[in-house]
Amino acid sequence: MNLLKSIAYLLTITFLLTSCSQDDDVTILPLGDYENGFLITNEGPFQNGSGTISFVSDNYEVVNHQIFNQVNSSDLGNIVQSMGFNNDIAYVIVNNSQKIEVVNRFTFESIASITEGLNNPRYFVSSGGNGYVSNWGDPFDNNDDFIAVIDLATNTVTSTIPVAFGPEKLVIANNDLYVAHQGGYGQNNILSVIDVSANILESTIEVGDVPNSIVVSNNDIWVLCGGNPAFTGNETNGRLVKVETSDNTVIQSFDFLITNHPKSLTIDGSNLIYNLDGEVFSKEENSVSLPTTNIITGSFYAMTANDGKLYATDAGDFASNGTLRIFDLSTNSEIITIETGIIPGGVYFNN
Amino acid sequence: MKRIYLIIALIICSASVYAQLDSIQHLNEVLILDTKLEDYSEGFELTQISDTLIERNSVSLTEVLNFNSTIYFKENGYGMVSSPSFRGTNASQTAVIWNGISINSNLNGQTDFNTISPSSFNTIIIRSGGGSTQYGSGAVGGSIHLNNTIDFQSKQSTELKLSYGSFSTIAGVFKTKFSSNKKYIDLEIDFISSENDYEYIGLNQKNENGNFDKINVSANAGFNFEKSTLSWNANYFLGNRNFSGTITSASNNSYKDVTTRNLVTWKKRSNKWNNIVKGAHIFERYRYYPNPESQLYSEGKSTTYLGDYQLEYKINKDLKVSSILNYTYIKSEGSNIGYKDRNTIAAILLWKHHVTQKLSYGINLRQEFLNDFDNPFLASFDVKYATNNWYSLKANASKNYRVPTFNDLYWNSSGNENLIPETSYQVEISNEFIWNQFQFNINGFYIDSKNLISWRPNVTGLWQPINIASTTNYGLEFSSEFSEKINLHFFNLTINYSYTKAINNEKDKQLIYVPYHKATGAFNYNYKKLTAYYQLLINGEVFTTTDNNEVLDGYSISNLGLEYLIHEKSIPIKIGIKLNNIFNTYYENVAYRPMPNRNIQTFINFKF
Repeated sequence: MNLLKSIAYLLTITFLLTSCSQDDDVTILPLGDYENGFLITNEGPFQNGSGTISFVSDNYEVVNHQIFNQVNSSDLGNIVQSMGFNNDIAYVIVNNSQKIEVVNRFTFESIASITEGLNNPRYFVSSGGNGYVSNWGDPFDNNDDFIAVIDLATNTVTSTIPVAFGPEKLVIANNDLYVAHQGGYGQNNILSVIDVSANILESTIEVGDVPNSIVVSNNDIWVLCGGNPAFTGNETNGRLVKVETSDNTVIQSFDFLITNHPKSLTIDGSNLIYNLDGEVFSKEENSVSLPTTNIITGSFYAMTANDGKLYATDAGDFASNGTLRIFDLSTNSEIITIETGIIPGGVYFNN
Repeated sequence: MKRIYLIIALIICSASVYAQLDSIQHLNEVLILDTKLEDYSEGFELTQISDTLIERNSVSLTEVLNFNSTIYFKENGYGMVSSPSFRGTNASQTAVIWNGISINSNLNGQTDFNTISPSSFNTIIIRSGGGSTQYGSGAVGGSIHLNNTIDFQSKQSTELKLSYGSFSTIAGVFKTKFSSNKKYIDLEIDFISSENDYEYIGLNQKNENGNFDKINVSANAGFNFEKSTLSWNANYFLGNRNFSGTITSASNNSYKDVTTRNLVTWKKRSNKWNNIVKGAHIFERYRYYPNPESQLYSEGKSTTYLGDYQLEYKINKDLKVSSILNYTYIKSEGSNIGYKDRNTIAAILLWKHHVTQKLSYGINLRQEFLNDFDNPFLASFDVKYATNNWYSLKANASKNYRVPTFNDLYWNSSGNENLIPETSYQVEISNEFIWNQFQFNINGFYIDSKNLISWRPNVTGLWQPINIASTTNYGLEFSSEFSEKINLHFFNLTINYSYTKAINNEKDKQLIYVPYHKATGAFNYNYKKLTAYYQLLINGEVFTTTDNNEVLDGYSISNLGLEYLIHEKSIPIKIGIKLNNIFNTYYENVAYRPMPNRNIQTFINFKF
């Protein structure tokens, strides 16, 4: 054995030396297998199983499923809710496993697991060396919801900011953190504004019932409110709202019909795109009214626009693999359909 | 594939678990509460699980049936919510019948088989095939009958069993019974408490938050008058379970459920006419605590009042007819459904004709009224033909149904009041062979179900139940039993095997959590005061996703038990030990929920 080891050692050294000499003039190394493409978070089956992450290359030729498992030989956990980024690092929120898996976004090698200080984590954004994670707390308790502040240098939750119930999606705009309070299993109607330099709650802004999605445009934000659904006994209309971040006021508001409950707001250039009753609509930011004709038909689980394309997921029966459909927004025609994992809930770009 | 050959080999070399009901002797002194099962189900396959077998898996009804029948169970972790799949049908298509009355939950349509304490019943009978004409909603794949026997013979007995085992499991059963030719009364109390904190083999993890306590009390009484009998059956169950997590997610929720059941039956007999009047009260309540520390919970409860009048007329010795009028009032209330109620009147006609000694047939009809939805007219036909003393053929065809549950109709975010009942057609042929100590059965079945209720997200993303799915189930079942006595050595071998195709017609794929193959085996050896037994359970692989892309591996589990009877003067004492999962096999019954590693149970039983 010793002889074999010695030979292997010698061979390795020789190989390393020769490769070094050959690589001297290579300037750009690939960052990892999962560069130049996009990532899909698949929530996974409701109760008994693990969510997964799929990678698709920009030219759609490479499709890899369960990449976290492939790289790290372990499961991500139950209900992969969403993913956020800070430079080269991705933060995967695993809702029902009450944790965040920290990985290199290009290699997907595990860096850390954050398991302390979270309670039903939902979404992640980063700003100035901190990560901010919305947490429902006990879903039956409307008074324990919070934003966890993570020190990204140590990957630990360093403080929590109590907020109103049902915090969901988050954006950073004009150096503030905006939290949309969709309302957990119930309904809420506000945004929280958090000063990220001091990590304190600055103010709240009433926008409309059930703010379910939020995007940033030129330092201001657009919020799509679904409205209260009919079963609440207090059905209210959906609403698209523009908030000016310089003074945190609602400066534009578009009401839908009372029975209309739009969702999945995303932005492509100056076009606001959303899903309503099996149709996808696109509104130019400056247009004075809501569009009446659709650009695409389909009811999607999640939608993300990027670089002139719309990435729309279909979770099917929620108990088998879903699909991702990619549309060219210049022609509104479908480019390709790609099979995903179970319940594809988000698309993130890795370029 | 190896496993299949093994099963086939076992079937060829050997042979059913249970005594077929036909061979059971009925004494006149025994009060039959459920005449539908005894007198009007001849062309159906009925198998009885004896009290000996019940005792060996007395932890739960899940275990009793898992090891002694081809019914497949999906158990959400050991001791947690357990739902059956009978011939590939779903949990709300298997009716559980307590002394002739359906006890499936009005809220979710199912019975959690881990909330039924098997020790409180004298017999458990599995009735294969459609039974909705007799038992109403949910008897689609088959029905499980939990019966208490009331007999008017002078007897008195008291029994106490205490057991202790792995995972800090403590259990006890107390039974006392007194009867004369005029009166009968019994009382049974049992409890089980377990930490249920078994290790996940090879994972360096434990089954956290899986502890449970269950208490069950049952009482039965009967009075024998000159030409009539009056009886009372009662059952109270209290379950307090924490729901365990999975490999990938911890859990801290807990669940408490209470059920009470009371039934009063008055029977009047004459030569030609029998009158049976029943009144019953059933109450169920669950409380779900997502986080037990906060004491916040969601709740559902339901009360059923039932009145039932059966008039039976014997036209001659070979021909009888029964008409039943049944009124059921259900009120349900819950955090998620508000307050709702339902009235149902059912008219049932049962006809039984022994054409010759060898040939008999039965016709059952049912029509319901007064519901919130249209009720289909249901019918079943069954025939039995005994060609000779070693072979008999049974066949039946029926139309069955399952009504939408209160959850389906009224769930406050998304219940759908436009739902209609699920309907299902089924045919079954069964062949029984008996040669001396060897008994062998082969059944084939076909079930076609439509308008199945399935929860789907609608166009706005809201989850709603709709009548959309349809399934086709077919398969074969074998069961065999072989007994032999050589001097004082008594051997008994039973083998069951089923092959089940359960196709989701929309996708043309096998339903999730329905194995193609399930087999059970038991070998029993008795010599004087010593009894030894071996139990085998084989569950084939199951699909966990509707596209059949993901598979959960099959497994086989073996248990071994020893019992010894110590005669100490007038008080017989039996001691026993049982090793479960003797090969320490890692297995998951539901994906990501490992089941117990090797474990031990011991008991001592006193008879006074």
